[in-house]
Amino acid sequence: MKLKIVKYYPLIPVYAAYLILFLIGCTMPGMWQMVALLAFYCAIGQAFNIFLGMTGYVDFGYVAFMALGTYGMALGITAFYQSGLGIGIIFIGLLLGVVMAALLSLAVGAVALRLRGAYFAIATIGVNEGFRYLIEGAKIWGGSEGMIFSGELKEAFGVEMASRLSTLWADVAVFIIAAVAAFVTIHYMRGKIGYALTALREDEDAAKVMGINVTRYKIIAFITSASFAGLIGAMAWALKLTYVFPPDVFEIHYTIECIIVVLLGGAGTLLGPVVGGLIYALSKYWLAVVAPGFQLLIFAPIIIAIIVAFPEGIMGLVKRRAKGTGWERYII
Amino acid sequence: MIWQVLAGNLTHGLVLGAVYGVATMGLSLIFGVLRVVNVGHGPFIMVGAFVTLTMFAAFGIAPPAAIPAALVVGMALGFAFFYVVMRRLIKAPELASLLATFAMGILLEEIVKHTLGTEFRGYVWDVGKITLPMTVMPMTKVYAFIGSIIVAVALYLWFNKTRMGTAVRTVVEDSEGARVCGVNVGWSYALSFAIGIGLTVMSGVFLTMFIPVGINPYMGGAYTLKAFVIAVLGGLTSPYGAFFAGLIFGLVENGSYVFFALIPGVEPFALTRFITFAILLIILLVRPTGLLGRK
Repeated sequence: MKLKIVKYYPLIPVYAAYLILFLIGCTMPGMWQMVALLAFYCAIGQAFNIFLGMTGYVDFGYVAFMALGTYGMALGITAFYQSGLGIGIIFIGLLLGVVMAALLSLAVGAVALRLRGAYFAIATIGVNEGFRYLIEGAKIWGGSEGMIFSGELKEAFGVEMASRLSTLWADVAVFIIAAVAAFVTIHYMRGKIGYALTALREDEDAAKVMGINVTRYKIIAFITSASFAGLIGAMAWALKLTYVFPPDVFEIHYTIECIIVVLLGGAGTLLGPVVGGLIYALSKYWLAVVAPGFQLLIFAPIIIAIIVAFPEGIMGLVKRRAKGTGWERYII
Repeated sequence: MIWQVLAGNLTHGLVLGAVYGVATMGLSLIFGVLRVVNVGHGPFIMVGAFVTLTMFAAFGIAPPAAIPAALVVGMALGFAFFYVVMRRLIKAPELASLLATFAMGILLEEIVKHTLGTEFRGYVWDVGKITLPMTVMPMTKVYAFIGSIIVAVALYLWFNKTRMGTAVRTVVEDSEGARVCGVNVGWSYALSFAIGIGLTVMSGVFLTMFIPVGINPYMGGAYTLKAFVIAVLGGLTSPYGAFFAGLIFGLVENGSYVFFALIPGVEPFALTRFITFAILLIILLVRPTGLLGRK
């Protein structure tokens, strides 16, 4: 029994970080927006890490899953806003978002995960862009105009509750999603799935020869990761912004941001996405204040330098330093 | 009437396809030799467009003269980027090179944005037009077509008939084997990368000769995605496969537009893009060596 709890020890620093963040947001006036931004980047980093960090496959169209989550919530609210289900509408939206993201990931995973390396990356870009242009071209779900549902939200919940849902509860939900994603990450890492994925990340052919059903584990990681992306899209985009606009939700820059967060913190580590998310979001926030308009100009060379100088990320370095010390069991 | 429109569109598609072909050869060359996907491909095309625009608008130099200038600028950028960054990432996991090339693209966009501004620009270089049975074609497009074919043939000759080109081809086949046989693999990497980037920047010139408007720092993104589709059609590793795939892509893009425009209640432009990505996925799954590639 003791052993079972020990394996979850690395969650302590993660949850401590989230708790501190949450308390800062609750107690310090005017900080909630920034805290919500930090939580958002930690959450997407954590969600993306389950696939990217554990398998080493680069999904360049990851934002498509967030987009589908956003659409799921939008469809849920616009379809049921007069049903009188109260808060149930939000849960229907969440469920729709997760199911749509999971179904897409199952479809993509079943076919595209046969491809490796650069071919997989290109295929996933194709899925993302193809989906976007299908929605715009065939005028599905409002086509290129997208969907705006702030009116429906107000009608279902009243003006005050609708605004609380967007400005408070959507962000709280992102915290919860991030916490659950951290738990799932460690559960996978310290279980059969994690060992199988580590083997396949290091050498897929060897893992296959050893009798590991690599396709199965890849798809498990892919669907898990995509489902969390759907949840985050539904909460942090749909419910918070109360609109969906295809060029925004399929924007490839969000995928890049996810990759940066994971790589900065350390791919395949539990604490990495949290550290990466905090550093990335803080510096983005800070640069927007001190050098508005110059963020990308400053970021791009820094990213290149990080890739070249320390590709393991911050937690990769910390993990190596912590080896053999008492901290080891808290850091992964 | 519809056939007239279709024939006209296909003619323009063929011309644009040749330009697309040149715009993708660099991507395929770099992937073939270094096994690196240049995700920042489009911004290099944008650089070429701005080279043309600057030379023409500021100094009155006609666009064709910008072709060698763009090649030089591109190769300089390519060598610099290779020796500073890419050299260290060849053996690294895909993630590193994908993110690095994307960041490089962003860097280029931002530098151009902060020096030249974000407004859409264009130029007018009127050298007459020719009237074909199905359409009227400005001479600038004809020059872009001829120029693209010359570039494609030149690359083919360099690749197949020269000593250096042969060395690069051996690296494409098997870099370890090439090294054992005494090929300077490091130099092949650097040269291919520089030529690849040079071709890409140069294609920006042809592109503005075809479409002399809409030049702005963020114009590259759409071409990155098109280039991916074309490169996959051509088999990803073969530059002249990419050229023929570009021709096919230009025909499909312009041809399908005519038919989608007939369907009421859809956006034909977006559907055309959807079709191209559908083709990308089908090719990747069914025949990853490309339409023209070997089995």
